Amino acid sequence: MGAVTGAPPLAAEDDLRRDRSGHLRGRTVLDRCIGWLLPLLFLVAIAPILDLVYWVASRALPTFTLSIITTNPSGAAGGLLSPIVGSLEILLLATLVAIALGFFGGLATAEYLDEETAGAIRVTANVMVGIPSIILGLFGFIVFVKYFGWGASLAAAGVTLGIFMTPYVYRATDLAYLSVPPHIREAAVGSGATPLQYLFRVATPIAFPSVLTGIFLAMAIGVGETAPILLATTPVAIPPLSLFQPASALPLYIWSGFENGLILPVAIHRAFQAAFLLLVIVVGLNVLVRIIAARSRRRLEGLFQ
Amino acid sequence: MSQPPVAGPAGGRQPLPFLARLRAGIARWWPYVPALLPLALTLAIVDSLIGASRLQNFGAGFFGFIITDYGILIFVVGSFLTSVPALVIAMLVGLGIAIASTTYLPRFLSEWLDPFVDLLAGIPSIVYGLWGFLIVAPFFGHDIFPTVAPALAWIPGFHPSFNSPSLEGTGLALGIIILTLMILPITTLLMRDALRSVPRDLWESGLALGATRWEVARHVAIPYAKRGIWGAAFLGFGRAMGETVAVYFVIDQTARLPTNIYAPTSTMASLIVSSIAQNLAGTDLHFLAEMALVLLAITLVVNVAGRWMIRRTFTDVAGL
Amino acid sequence: MTAESGAMTTPVVAVDGVSVRTRDRTILDKISLDFSARSLTAVVGPSGCGKTTFIRTLNRMAELTPGLRIQGRVLYLGQDVYDPTVNPVVVRRRMGMVFQRPTVFPASVFENAAFGLRLVRASEEEIDAAVTEALQRAGLWDEVHSHLDGPALALSGGQQQRLCIARALAVRPKVLLLDEPTSALDPAATQRVEATLQHLKEEIVVILVTHNVGQAARVSDRVAFLHSGHLVEVGATADMLERPREKLTEQFITGRFE
Repeated sequence: MGAVTGAPPLAAEDDLRRDRSGHLRGRTVLDRCIGWLLPLLFLVAIAPILDLVYWVASRALPTFTLSIITTNPSGAAGGLLSPIVGSLEILLLATLVAIALGFFGGLATAEYLDEETAGAIRVTANVMVGIPSIILGLFGFIVFVKYFGWGASLAAAGVTLGIFMTPYVYRATDLAYLSVPPHIREAAVGSGATPLQYLFRVATPIAFPSVLTGIFLAMAIGVGETAPILLATTPVAIPPLSLFQPASALPLYIWSGFENGLILPVAIHRAFQAAFLLLVIVVGLNVLVRIIAARSRRRLEGLFQ
Repeated sequence: MSQPPVAGPAGGRQPLPFLARLRAGIARWWPYVPALLPLALTLAIVDSLIGASRLQNFGAGFFGFIITDYGILIFVVGSFLTSVPALVIAMLVGLGIAIASTTYLPRFLSEWLDPFVDLLAGIPSIVYGLWGFLIVAPFFGHDIFPTVAPALAWIPGFHPSFNSPSLEGTGLALGIIILTLMILPITTLLMRDALRSVPRDLWESGLALGATRWEVARHVAIPYAKRGIWGAAFLGFGRAMGETVAVYFVIDQTARLPTNIYAPTSTMASLIVSSIAQNLAGTDLHFLAEMALVLLAITLVVNVAGRWMIRRTFTDVAGL
Repeated sequence: MTAESGAMTTPVVAVDGVSVRTRDRTILDKISLDFSARSLTAVVGPSGCGKTTFIRTLNRMAELTPGLRIQGRVLYLGQDVYDPTVNPVVVRRRMGMVFQRPTVFPASVFENAAFGLRLVRASEEEIDAAVTEALQRAGLWDEVHSHLDGPALALSGGQQQRLCIARALAVRPKVLLLDEPTSALDPAATQRVEATLQHLKEEIVVILVTHNVGQAARVSDRVAFLHSGHLVEVGATADMLERPREKLTEQFITGRFE
């Protein structure tokens, strides 16, 4: 042991410090360079967004007053009350529609269909996610505004956005019930639970947090969408009094600001303030989702061991 | 999952009373009704668009539909001209980020940075559009394009001779840039998942053969994750083609083919949205429905292909 | 030749007081063990005893696991592999490694075996010759020589594992480390791999981690028994399995463990 001193010189092929191939240095240097360069690409993704957040905040906040969220728009000026209320109303209606259309499908796919059928049906939901939102907007216009004769209204916008959000809720539900560990199902059925008892007392409590996060994610995506509601309602200055009156929304407010040229400083400020509120809602929902997911994961950890 | 048991003997020697058979039938078949809703809604969308179109345009008048002065071809070309370059950039950058995250960065850093990138996928299109139009466009128009354009003028399509870079900076180039930023989180996320699915053993056996981390990523991980990477490309492309509002804000919506990379142009999606802005008239709706059908056909094909590539999907973080 | 006589006397691999710790646990505690040329040593022990970590410290694979602190020296022909001037890439080429499950790459049989040589941009003739030789030494040539361009994933599990051995051999290492190479294989495939190992020990140093005493008895010259990170006993296979000196060893080989 330790016979390094006075050892005979090593043959080149045995010397760890001399590489036979001679390319070693180049390969190592390439690896190091790539190891430094690739992480910098994170900046390419993140830096523009930091710039976006900076500009939106710096244009929105200095002139932000409480009256902006308590008064309705008037011309290019005024507040953002009707877009805020409208966004929330449309989102509420859309969420109800998406749950009604998506939840049971996801549940049925995860719990009541055989594996192969479920796999095929899942593909259809995944493909529906890929339909461009502008096409859903056109669909909503053709069907709800024109064919059903609802006109530009809260109802048309909410239902169209709800259909847009449906596959997201569907997939979240499917995934949530699918993630109930099989041994728990076997234990429940083995101890004599009826299918309904299993569903309500065992599976749903386990799956519920994931369904909830899925719904919140769908809301986070839905609230920022412009295209599905663009044709279904119009940006009006007052909140609607019934389902069949038009409702404004934050994205629509920005949209109409753009269409009017965004020339007046006050119009630019309002547009950025609407964008800022949208960002706050979207990021807030995403953070909420992560908190729920983390908490439920901790709560459920015992089940998966 | 298991099916609910069907009441009654399998042989069916005694015909069951009607109500019992009805109950058994409902128990057997009800799950299909809600489960098939997404498919039904997709078909309803297709049906409504066909109903609103004049389908004869797909028959004898098809060529007129494509190339007449108010034809669809320039918008298809416009869509590809924005989506393809955006996709190429987003795939390259995304692959780099995915490799950095799975190979090079220490665990705590990637755990911190990855959710950040995922969050970017959730930023509303209209916010990108507003920022692109009011902040990025003037910056590019005043500061970037005037400097960069002469240096790049030798590249075909980069010569700003037909109309010099507009001071607003809006046009094809900015459309590509904004589109790239918008699809980057999705391609990154999907490729990261694909690379994560490479078994740890496989990484290690590459390293154990004396490969560097880069060589393992390049020669082992990427070939292994090839399907997932292709899937990311398809889904990212579908996203890019369907992206509407942000592109409309920065592309200087003009219904003509771009003469160079700084020129205004139009995509299929941005044309639909701009027609909305000009209050749809009856004939316009037919045309828009037809174009929407073309756009829908392209995105559906691309999405089916992408989903087929990534069988093991379900990355719900960004609601993909 | 001096180098030759040096290799005869100094061990090819000498482990000198190696300890591996995580923040709150000691995985290996001051292990010292020599491996001389042309030998097959089986490292046995109950699961969790640190035997996998042990062979991973030899070719510096252990340092890829975050949070491990490695102390002590591992000498390869008298050179400390943990010396800061030594590139781990070179260490790993000199000591090949085979994993529990076959880890063939998604490429052809030939390209799998050629992987290590392509990295150093060897010439086509060199690669052809080395691949053929490696497949022969791994006892796989007769089965695959007619479809070298076929996908490696189409091979059976046992063939895949021998392809992994061939892949490691193609860069002509002097040491081959195997981490329970037959644990995912059926008895027939296990037998083929064991036969391969018996040939290999005539040429190079083979260090085989196994939890299977029977396998150690069949193929090894020498057995090292690890328990909770301690090296309990080392000895010639026949001696140790018939007359273990330590009580723990006896318990392990008679199966009163785990």
